[in-house]
Amino acid sequence: MPSESRADVKALPWFYRTKELGAIFGTLIFFVIFAIISEQFLTWSNLATTFTMAAELGIVTLGVTMLMISGEFDLSVGSVFAVVPMVMAIMINHGVNEWFAFVVAMLVGVGIGVANGLVTLKTGIPSFITTLGMKMFWRGILLAVTGGFPIILSHKVGLLRYFGGAVLEDLRYSAIWFIALSIVFWLVLERTQYGNWTFATGGNIGAARALGVPVMRVKLVNFVLSSTLAGFAGLTTFGRFKIVDPTLGQEMELEAIAAAVIGGNLLTGGYGSILGSFIGAVMIGMVRSGLVLAGAPGYWYRAFIGVILIVAAIINARIRKKVAG
Amino acid sequence: MSEYIVEMRGIKKSFGRVQALKGVDFSVGRNEIVGLLGDNGAGKSTLIKVLVGYYQPDEGEIYFEGQKVNFKSPWDSRALGIETVYQDLALVNLMPLWRNFFLGRELKRKIGPFKLIERNKMRRLALESLKDVGIFIRSPDETVAFMSGGERQAVAIARAIHFGAKLLILDEPTAALSVGETRKVLEHIVEAKKRGISVIFITHNIYHVYEVADRLVVLEHGEKIGEYEKKEVTPEQIMDIIASAAGVK
Repeated sequence: MPSESRADVKALPWFYRTKELGAIFGTLIFFVIFAIISEQFLTWSNLATTFTMAAELGIVTLGVTMLMISGEFDLSVGSVFAVVPMVMAIMINHGVNEWFAFVVAMLVGVGIGVANGLVTLKTGIPSFITTLGMKMFWRGILLAVTGGFPIILSHKVGLLRYFGGAVLEDLRYSAIWFIALSIVFWLVLERTQYGNWTFATGGNIGAARALGVPVMRVKLVNFVLSSTLAGFAGLTTFGRFKIVDPTLGQEMELEAIAAAVIGGNLLTGGYGSILGSFIGAVMIGMVRSGLVLAGAPGYWYRAFIGVILIVAAIINARIRKKVAG
Repeated sequence: MSEYIVEMRGIKKSFGRVQALKGVDFSVGRNEIVGLLGDNGAGKSTLIKVLVGYYQPDEGEIYFEGQKVNFKSPWDSRALGIETVYQDLALVNLMPLWRNFFLGRELKRKIGPFKLIERNKMRRLALESLKDVGIFIRSPDETVAFMSGGERQAVAIARAIHFGAKLLILDEPTAALSVGETRKVLEHIVEAKKRGISVIFITHNIYHVYEVADRLVVLEHGEKIGEYEKKEVTPEQIMDIIASAAGVK
């Protein structure tokens, strides 16, 4: 590294250190475009619905983000998103108390996270493989148990209202949960020792270990967070539909990773932000509803997200080069 | 009180059939800089890893400040004030300076049931303690990826000083550095000594360590083949000893 040129390097302007810069601009641009194209876009009803949809994906993205920053993947979140509400629905239909069913279902989510973490960390195989296997395993179980048919609740369940019921017209509890959980995880990542350790574990695992960070424990906890939040997000969708389809949440893992990457998170770990993921999820939700309102067939949504993902990754790579050399 | 800060006696360590250390005596005096020399594979790293508790010796005893110690992990040795700066494992590139500086030892304050890190205090302290050892950094929020190799070593040394190290172990601190940067790192090492810290400087470049060392210890094939006060030897003599021990004439 040439030392002569060092003196010329000036401190970077603040905005380069804003990891979410690309995502913020992108979201604003889409917001303006959709507002111009469609009259309904700027209505309270549409904005509330859009945000609710974004919230269900967003809660999954929060956990995926924590795990990604610590250097691991979770491809099983889409399956967990369906398994947890499925467990709850089946138990309730068998007459189990709804609170008890809720706790057991969430514990299943926690358990899958523990399994993901232990298998990955004890055997040393990539989490990409572990969680891909888990994703297929649980999807298979879902289809086998239900025979491919959705599970419909046999009676009204009051508890579900607090996951996905309406708060104010089209705004649902999932939106409130998303905001609350985003604040919590933003605090955890940016303002706690655990957050510092998460960054360090993904950034340079050897250095983190040498400085006494319990890297395996950090990763394990993040595996559990990812799985647990995915399960909880599944409950918010369940609360909205009151029905669980065994194909619920398919490809959600990829959307969550896309949301995280759009939000400026580095796929290889060590860099990212909760605010970025929040914005990434909102952007995906907005594009989905915006395209529908603009009259584009539903299929266009995926194509569109694909392009946005690649453009976002390119922009973020450029910004990061400025920040981290 | 013992005249040594650390004393290792008859250390043996084998990995399978490979005898990495064959009964090594090694000591570091108070406020002394010891150069630990030897070719690649001589056993330098193994000796240090035994010292800090990364490995446990098969035989031999370790005394720290006169007390017999039995470190189970690097955590134990660090708690007593032994800090190691590894070549590539000192800092996390993508993290800001202040987060790196306090990694593993974050300052926290209690807010209700929660413990939050004290960001501004850590930012300020990181800059202050760097300034204290003569390193000027533009912003504590800058990622360390931006820093040169010398600056990174300096940050790691300043961090050890800040956290009250008594013995600082530097693993090849000048490898891959430019001449000017090497000089700066050597200055930081001397600065650490001025503050009463003992230093083990691991290297295979005698010219880097000769300038600052008080004593030189040469390892080869897991044995100590020489130990010299600096005044007794020239760098060329040390080079010859290492080369001939390694079978290069």
